[in-house]
Amino acid sequence: MKLNRRSFLATTAATTAVVGTPMILKAQPSEYVLGASLPLTGPFATAGQLVAPAFQLAAKLFNDEGGIAGTPIRFVTEDSGYVPQNALANYQRALATEGNAMIGYFADSTGAMKLIAPELKGENARIMGSTSFASELANPETHPYQYMSGPSYQSQFDILLENIAAEGGKSVAFIYSNTEFGRDPIEHGKATAERLGIEVVLEEATKPQGADIPTHVTKLAQSGAEYCILQGYVTGVWPQLIGGARQFGLPTKFKGTFWGMEKIIADRITKEAGPFLAGYEGVMPYRYFWDREDAPRYQQYAALSKEMFAGTPLENYMSTWAIQTMCGLEIAMKAFRDTAEAGLELTADNIAEKLTNISDWDTGGFFGGPVTMESNSIRTGRVYEYDTESGLFNPKSDWLTV
Amino acid sequence: MGQLTQFAINGLMSGAIYALIAVGIVSVYKATKVVNFAHGYLIMFGAYFYYTFAVIIPGQEWAPSWLASWEPVWLVEMKEGLPMFSPMGAVLDWVQNVPRIIFGIIGALIANAIVGRIIERTLMRPLMGQSIFAMIMVTVGLISIMSGAASIIWTADADFVPHIAPNAPVRFELFGSTIFLFGADLVNMLIALIIFGGIVLMVRYTKSGVAIRATAEDQSTAYSMGISVPKVFSRAWVLASTTGAIAGAILATRNGISPSLGLFGFSVLAIVLMGGLDSYIGVFLAAMAVGVMEAMTQWQLGGDWAEIVPYVAVLAVLLIRPHGLFGSKEVERI
Repeated sequence: MKLNRRSFLATTAATTAVVGTPMILKAQPSEYVLGASLPLTGPFATAGQLVAPAFQLAAKLFNDEGGIAGTPIRFVTEDSGYVPQNALANYQRALATEGNAMIGYFADSTGAMKLIAPELKGENARIMGSTSFASELANPETHPYQYMSGPSYQSQFDILLENIAAEGGKSVAFIYSNTEFGRDPIEHGKATAERLGIEVVLEEATKPQGADIPTHVTKLAQSGAEYCILQGYVTGVWPQLIGGARQFGLPTKFKGTFWGMEKIIADRITKEAGPFLAGYEGVMPYRYFWDREDAPRYQQYAALSKEMFAGTPLENYMSTWAIQTMCGLEIAMKAFRDTAEAGLELTADNIAEKLTNISDWDTGGFFGGPVTMESNSIRTGRVYEYDTESGLFNPKSDWLTV
Repeated sequence: MGQLTQFAINGLMSGAIYALIAVGIVSVYKATKVVNFAHGYLIMFGAYFYYTFAVIIPGQEWAPSWLASWEPVWLVEMKEGLPMFSPMGAVLDWVQNVPRIIFGIIGALIANAIVGRIIERTLMRPLMGQSIFAMIMVTVGLISIMSGAASIIWTADADFVPHIAPNAPVRFELFGSTIFLFGADLVNMLIALIIFGGIVLMVRYTKSGVAIRATAEDQSTAYSMGISVPKVFSRAWVLASTTGAIAGAILATRNGISPSLGLFGFSVLAIVLMGGLDSYIGVFLAAMAVGVMEAMTQWQLGGDWAEIVPYVAVLAVLLIRPHGLFGSKEVERI
């Protein structure tokens, strides 16, 4: 055979393909793994135990759809007790056990995200989502492998303050837990309020649990705030603060961020203590689960929930906390699948690049319309109001993007 | 001045709850020399028992309807037309809940006493005569057992319980300012003070109290004087459990039910150290002082300081008086 330039190139390409293919095949595991740390015990176990079933549902749904380019995905969840050090240990253990098969991780707190972030380097880097909306994490330059499945707390404050400004509000109080979670958006919120011409008349830090309600309510009354934004609470303190203010006879309008917007908690308060949450509003990045007429993805979840969780309360309702987790998993899956479809290896760098570039994505109804990742977060949300009669959070604004 | 009074009263109300929590730690320490690190979880059990008897059982189909909500005709008539969040409405709401509140408190007292007794008989008594350190470590282990058991029995679901007393607002003028208090908090404070006072009187003037004091002084001598030391141990644990049940029920009404209730015990440990591990009076004063300091710091400096300032005071006291304000100095014969 005569060797010319064309035949040389063809022979080289064929040899590379023959020699290289087994290497690629060898590199691709028989299944992919996504690890997770959840607070199944500890102070946020209420949320953790409601979120855990979402992983079962996701495994069934994603694998029925063909996994990632035909390769199934398995979820490995462990308890963290809401202790970041435990989440880090879980991450390291999953990495050692699963190796390259583990392509992503899901953490349960801002603390865990920050603690694991320095570990995400070179071979140990994995794409990572979480329950956190901490503003610091929405920065691809400092946290290239970590993402957020909604707007950061700062963006949520922006949405609420713009809503207050639109209602003609002139003064606001910020009451927050003295945790990283609580303090996150306060400085940013003050700047936004100033820009919008709203005076911040009170900044009040409280204990995250067991706060001294009479003292905080007294200070709120003294401040004369028209509005009060509550931040950094999950199941406690915020209901007691609102209840105290109502008994005090304060006309203050209360607003909350994502973690204070769960129907299960609002319903329980109403049942036990009466309708004092009437008029309570807050920002939610997602649709509620009952609002699924225009949300085909929610309809799939509902059908699967009926089948998988029959006889339990999860059969008919998915909590906002579980929806957030599902959204986080959907974003990760989109990035995994986009990477695989592009013929790229599922490395953290390749996945992160695809994730950063998610644009005009139709999530199937999580949000009001197609969304785009900006600074590894989705800056969209809507203000909802709780109705004590129906037990539903009803939309109070259009979908707002900040 | 009016504001100062407002925040001082708020602080005293918190301090009374701290004192009620602390009394269990002191009781066990006085009788057994064991610092019970699991006391917060004993309180958490008390809170869950109150929840069980005041919310879960009355909500069952087989439970009589009056237990869940007592609605005699006169009560329904009185409630009609009342504006939302009116003081009278709050009182009538409470009256409606009285049967389940009573059922809840009695149930919590009995169930928690049984738990305390079981802990003492199965974990503490077998270690009598062994190192105190071993017994303290058992209480540390107990934290995991009790938090795990609570998760299995009640799950980690957050929920809410009825107030022990009507939570009607109380308003009055003082020094030109309107003082505002929550009725339930005032009654909670009163309950805590009565229980605390009762225990102090019991320890000082009853035979059981003398036995506790004698055992605290020297177990061997108490034994030789005919005092049943195991019985004293047992009584101390039951006392800690029952006061813990009340403290748990009160905490649950203020914060709702959740596994995080167990953590309250740790913050109160510092107060107990400040007052003196074996002094009821010292612990009472320390609890009140910390409560007032927290409220004042919250008022003047904000929440970020409120958790620091009182504990700096605790440290300062311990540096000057290592055995606490009223704690007994340990004298060891060499």
